[in-house]
Amino acid sequence: MKISFNINNQNRELELNPNQTLLTVLRNNGFTEVKCGCNEGECGACLVLLDDKAVNSCQVLAMSVQNKKIKTVKGIGTLHNPNLIQKIFAGTGADQCGFCSPGMIVASYSLLKENSSPSDSEILEGLDGNLCRCTGYIKIIEAVRRSSSVLLKNNVEAE
Amino acid sequence: MFKYIKKPIEKIDGLALVTGNEKYTDDFYFENMLHISILHSGYAHAKIEDIDDSTALRMPGVVDVLSYKNVKQILYTTAGQGYPEPSPYDTVLFGNVMRFVGDNVCAVAAETKEIADSALKKIKVKYKRLKPILHFEESENSKIIIHKDDGAFPKIPVYYDASKNLAAKVEAEVGNFEEAFQNSENKIEQTFFTQYASHCALEPHAAVSYIDTRGRLVIISTTQVPFHVRRIVSHIAEIPISKIRVIKPRIGGGFGGKQEVLLEPIVALVTWKTKRPAKLVYSRKEVFKSSRTRHEYRTIFKVGFQKDGKINAMHLDALENSGAYGSHALTVLSNAGSKTLPLLNKIENLKFTGKGVYTNLPCGGAYRGYGATEAYFGFGQVVDMVCEASGNDIIEYYKKWAIKSGETSPIFKALGEGKEGVAMTVTSTSLNECLEVGARESGWYEKKKLYGVNSTLNKNNRYKRGIGMADLMQGSAIPEIDMASAYIKMNDDGSFNLNVGATDLGTGSDTILAQIASEVLDTPVDKFIVTSSDTDFTPFDTGAYASSTTYLSGQAVLKCAKQIKEQILKVGAEMLGVSLDEVDILDSNVVVKPSSNNENKGEVSYQDICSYSFYQNNQFQIQAAVSHVSPKSPPPFAVHFVEIEVDTFTGIIKVLNYVATVDCGTPINTTLAEGQAEGAIVNGISYALFENYYFSNHGKMLNDTFGKYGMYTAADIPPIKVHLIDSYEETGPFGAKSISEININGALPAIANAFYNATGKRLYKAPFSPEYVLKILKSNP
Amino acid sequence: MLSENLKWYFPSSLPQAVKLIQKPGIILHAGGTRILKTQSKNIIGLVDISNLKLNYIKSKTNSFHIGAAITFNELIKYSKENNCLKMLAAALSQAASTPLRNRITIGGSLKDFPLWSNLYAPLIALNAMMEIKGNKSGIYSVEEYVSEGMIKSKHIIKEIILPRKEEFAWKVMRFALLKFEYPLFNIAISLKLNGKMIDDSRLVITGVRNRFKRFKKAEKFLIGKNLSLNLLNEIEKFVEPKFVSDYKYSSSYKETIAKVYFKDLLSEIIKENL
Repeated sequence: MKISFNINNQNRELELNPNQTLLTVLRNNGFTEVKCGCNEGECGACLVLLDDKAVNSCQVLAMSVQNKKIKTVKGIGTLHNPNLIQKIFAGTGADQCGFCSPGMIVASYSLLKENSSPSDSEILEGLDGNLCRCTGYIKIIEAVRRSSSVLLKNNVEAE
Repeated sequence: MFKYIKKPIEKIDGLALVTGNEKYTDDFYFENMLHISILHSGYAHAKIEDIDDSTALRMPGVVDVLSYKNVKQILYTTAGQGYPEPSPYDTVLFGNVMRFVGDNVCAVAAETKEIADSALKKIKVKYKRLKPILHFEESENSKIIIHKDDGAFPKIPVYYDASKNLAAKVEAEVGNFEEAFQNSENKIEQTFFTQYASHCALEPHAAVSYIDTRGRLVIISTTQVPFHVRRIVSHIAEIPISKIRVIKPRIGGGFGGKQEVLLEPIVALVTWKTKRPAKLVYSRKEVFKSSRTRHEYRTIFKVGFQKDGKINAMHLDALENSGAYGSHALTVLSNAGSKTLPLLNKIENLKFTGKGVYTNLPCGGAYRGYGATEAYFGFGQVVDMVCEASGNDIIEYYKKWAIKSGETSPIFKALGEGKEGVAMTVTSTSLNECLEVGARESGWYEKKKLYGVNSTLNKNNRYKRGIGMADLMQGSAIPEIDMASAYIKMNDDGSFNLNVGATDLGTGSDTILAQIASEVLDTPVDKFIVTSSDTDFTPFDTGAYASSTTYLSGQAVLKCAKQIKEQILKVGAEMLGVSLDEVDILDSNVVVKPSSNNENKGEVSYQDICSYSFYQNNQFQIQAAVSHVSPKSPPPFAVHFVEIEVDTFTGIIKVLNYVATVDCGTPINTTLAEGQAEGAIVNGISYALFENYYFSNHGKMLNDTFGKYGMYTAADIPPIKVHLIDSYEETGPFGAKSISEININGALPAIANAFYNATGKRLYKAPFSPEYVLKILKSNP
Repeated sequence: MLSENLKWYFPSSLPQAVKLIQKPGIILHAGGTRILKTQSKNIIGLVDISNLKLNYIKSKTNSFHIGAAITFNELIKYSKENNCLKMLAAALSQAASTPLRNRITIGGSLKDFPLWSNLYAPLIALNAMMEIKGNKSGIYSVEEYVSEGMIKSKHIIKEIILPRKEEFAWKVMRFALLKFEYPLFNIAISLKLNGKMIDDSRLVITGVRNRFKRFKKAEKFLIGKNLSLNLLNEIEKFVEPKFVSDYKYSSSYKETIAKVYFKDLLSEIIKENL
């Protein structure tokens, strides 16, 4: 069956089965920027924004979110028009293999949009659903801190 | 001074990664693609008497079932190593004996993944259950033979005895251990255990294949070893190498786990047979159970030393649980000795004995650290024990006894990888500085005074603090075995194609190799279009393992870029009308040297040079292809310091602070080098404290999800500080050695030493789970 | 694997929803996390609760009414913004991860009661009530709901009801070594104080045998006592949690540390209020 969603500000009709997760539906329909690391809601590689809140798309049945607003990492910024957080992630070495990056960016964006000056413990809490084996998180945390200070300096919200 | 080296240059694929633009194996979708699911054995040891796949095959959408019934029984090793491999040929793709829970029974290819998964449930397998070996210490003398009459054999002339369940055996001795041990004033004999672990690369293993327009097989795979994949698939699927192309796209982390050829032959067989694209992606549970792991180890150290602390004799006896197959069994084992024993190179009597035994448990394989992690757990503690017993400060002890520049160890020659090793002299080390800086930055001397069992701080306190350290070394590439090559050609706008067989699995090697070429050619990194790991378009490279890419592939790129430089200078000189010795390169130009009388002749840009070489005179393509083999494997060094707090009521160890000083030669990219160290340290800490495989009484892994396995999140990491302390390695590119593996080795011994400092007791068994720690705390010293 | 022929229902009233779930194989869908974890192929229909208008938190004169569709993070946010419901918010903010807390609902978590639930201990310690519709419609205490085996009956949780007044001292904790790991147990303690005197007390642990345990003897012992660190030694004998061994920890280890943490938490409360 075909169900409509608003993905990255575009209305889309996606083919799906009623038992499929949002992750499966997104990937089957070309949104491969949403990664699958565990399919059990435990790694965060599949994070998307659902009505502006970060969720594990592998833990959401697609049928339950029809007509809702979904944003993937590409809805936050693209190669040709990257978001500030994405630029800072790349510039800080917060990306190694990059497989967790789409989810990390979604988590960081969601955190900073809600709170542009998070404390260290708020940063850690905001990233508590995202696993990374490459970086040891040190440069990821640093990238979120830097993003926050640039946002504050320019007195803008995460966009 | 360097221009592009030792700089925090952004990864060339960085923005594409963080915007979700890069493609990983599972992101490739093809028209008409088949999806494959694997049926894995639920028994640790069983013989398949029959498989009835008729119901499954009748299901709409099911295209094929592969099992021992229709797949040729060709022996191979899944280990992606140099050929002939030092790992035994003891594996068939789909056999009729199941040797661990997770072994391959059969594969279903279907129109959708859902259909393939449902079809698995319709396959009836008739098993004859066999008694399994589930404890590796019982394997050698067991009546149960795991590889019985299956023809398993060693590909190279090394000891191998399947009738004794021995997948590998290594022995080496320098001097006379026994005599020196007996004559020593003090003796230590201690047994240590390290556990299973999963690599936990965030991207699960995956492979996709299709037939190209000319009928060749193309495999896209999450591999660290594309050229080994091509060779091994050719062997198993009986398809000529000329008909196979292997592409490695972006890889979501490897750490050794993707140095195995597991999925590629399966998709290859399906595609070759059906002529349709095929995809196989492991679930996380399959990665845990069916892919490869860190080997479980028992190490026994015997050390004889004098009252003043001088060690006369050391014997390391290692017992390795290879699991069901012997992938990397021999080489991980030999590295347990060769990466530890040379560190204290002044010990005159050294002995290494090791055995790798089969069990009916998940297979070991390559894992960051590769034997060194397992052996340093005991090594780092026995050195601490010697120092404690002899009243030596361990920092001063390592300064005195550790290997220095200009020195060698007989172990380098005695312990190779399946053959004799390569003698070498260490010519680069900043180990003393690493020790000093680390001691200073960690507050070693102050804290040593403050902590300790009888300190006012710790005595009668529920929470006890301690500090510990460990000194480490590893290697850089496998000498005289590993080969890397690079190809560079120049384009008419002054850009270059850099094609390398080297495999960037998230490490940033594409960027690092471009930086090396940049430095040689004095032109920005973004002038390089890097293509890596495509067996059709890039020259051979053994692959991303053995801490080799920067050191070995980097040197190939350096040599190649130098040849390009020569050609550019020649054309430049011709264009300027001066002699070759009057020109040099500067900022993407060929210039006349200031010392020359022809200085006023100006300069020509790379763009003009290439254009000239294409169209003007004596036309040719500026290009070069170069190979490189290293005569040695220069060790990187590291010193790790850790401060912990032990809750003596619960047994919980909390890491308070971690300081690492690392000598990787010249760090080509400082950000990426730090990142390698930080990632390895966090992995090392979680391995020491939490990570493990828990098995049922039938050999089934019980904690096969991230949530149950236990991985650190950002919220769990302690403060960690890495200090890179350069040395200069003449045989490496711009002085570089390696950094990827070494830093996973420190947490086990350093935390255990800190625990001793805090409590006066020692931890001999990893992981240091709170229940085990509590047991140790309650035990008599 | 969930059935490919799964039927979805989006009722707009509670009675409609109650009627739908009477049929075998049809269950409620809130956040969906538990349904995806079990992946039961026996489920033939899902009744989504999103149109039932259960996503509210109402503050009344004497009580808070929390709709079943409220997610953990919504409750935490409400708690921060309105400076209330602190004990519950503290317990829930330790649960799972940020993205999962955006999806897990109060109702779904109550209906399930997984062993690692962070919800039950504080609710029982707070003497929370809940309203259910369907079979056995009515208002029950959360403790009653679990103990009476009502969980399995066909009903919809409408809301939980918490007393408005929060004049008690409390502590909650979740025992896990890592931030994202299934906890071994959850502890919640609430003490109603009258000056230095303990007027009422609740000591709850979940994750034990039979899911949860209230240490009623210990509670009784504490009532009428004056706050003092000496209570810690005396209370020990009343706190005997019983666990089941698992692959990682033995029951005796779990019992040992659960006791340690009970005493730790109590001692913190006592020290803070002395």
